[in-house]
Amino acid sequence: MSPRSRRLLPLLCLAGGPALLSCADIATPSRTIAYEWRRIVATATGPDTLSFHWPQSRLPVRVWAEDTLNLPAHVQHGLGRWDAAFLYGEFRSVVVSDSSVADVIVTSGIAPKGGFSVTRLESFMAPECQGATDIELDASGHQILPPIRVYVDPRFEPSSPGVDACMALTTTHELGHSLGIFNHSPNSDDLMFADPTVTDLSPRDRATAELAYHTEPTLTIAPR
Amino acid sequence: MRAILLLLVLTLAGGASALHAQVDYHAGLGVTWATALLRDDVINEIEVRQKLAPTLVLGAALPIAPLYHAGLELALTTSGYQSKETGGTTVDLGTVRTSSITLGLDGPVSQGLRWRAGAGLLRYWPSEERGIFLRGGTTRFLAGAGIDYRRPILAQWDLMASLRYDFHRFTTDELEARAFSQSQGVQRIAATIGLARGRR
Repeated sequence: MSPRSRRLLPLLCLAGGPALLSCADIATPSRTIAYEWRRIVATATGPDTLSFHWPQSRLPVRVWAEDTLNLPAHVQHGLGRWDAAFLYGEFRSVVVSDSSVADVIVTSGIAPKGGFSVTRLESFMAPECQGATDIELDASGHQILPPIRVYVDPRFEPSSPGVDACMALTTTHELGHSLGIFNHSPNSDDLMFADPTVTDLSPRDRATAELAYHTEPTLTIAPR
Repeated sequence: MRAILLLLVLTLAGGASALHAQVDYHAGLGVTWATALLRDDVINEIEVRQKLAPTLVLGAALPIAPLYHAGLELALTTSGYQSKETGGTTVDLGTVRTSSITLGLDGPVSQGLRWRAGAGLLRYWPSEERGIFLRGGTTRFLAGAGIDYRRPILAQWDLMASLRYDFHRFTTDELEARAFSQSQGVQRIAATIGLARGRR
């Protein structure tokens, strides 16, 4: 071994072994726990699958909340939960003060008739409040006409015990529908269960949202 | 980490002591390239990667044997980072800064050329706590090696060009909370050019 090789030996020993160890990738979690988020509807030509996620060009999604029944705080909280569900910048939202520029409008009250109601939350296990999300499609049936409207309404006097907590979790649940989760989870541990009782997103909710945002949607959204 | 920083400060402050003549200082500017921080698979493969990062390197070393020195090196980088989905979109995720401190040895290769090897700590400082950094930055063990080339330009000063390779295993508290197990091997290569003073 030449003197130069001997000088380089410590360097090669220090760098070579660990460098080989550094090649392995992180082990990623399974998303097979996700539930079906797409909505199947009957059409004249047979069943059609409706799926949607907000495109990058429309982020951050602008959300307006009616200033009543603590809705602005519930919306802020709910959006924070959903923003945190994503690892790779798939979804971002911002609360706006002008409803005329909002992509999603959250109000108190019972959803009126009309439009295409993708989801309607009827709460039996938590009877203090109810929620609904209305998504209106154009004549082709493949383009959403904004804004998406979210309704959250107390069944009792708002100051009654449990009503505020119910409004909070129902708002987060309905915002999940406005993100593109058009179905309910079959599991009661999930926030997107039809009659949710949990207050935070479950791993299944997050996995479902991730899948929804990495699957080519069948619906687009019209300019606001 | 605090102890290492203190040691670095003391080493630098040592310039005023009797060690002054023996302490070797260097500083350089350059760029750092890194492999992916994370590879995931959600329908398609997703990769999170730092962009080419401007880099500042500061170092100080003392002789420990006739041909060998031991020293500390601080490296700072700042760059954007982004996610890229295979066949899909690229999303800018913000800015992440890194700071690393390594304790290393260096020795001669040939005239003007020296090897360096060391180990230390690397800290990621994201600009926003979101996504993979939702629960904040992360500190990782780091090991690396490199080559320095020095060419005298003034009585006390050398022009110094450096090439560094280092590696660490990357993960964050958020990834661990999301059931990502083990960690991602990240390799970085930095090229810098600067000035060195002290060694002849």
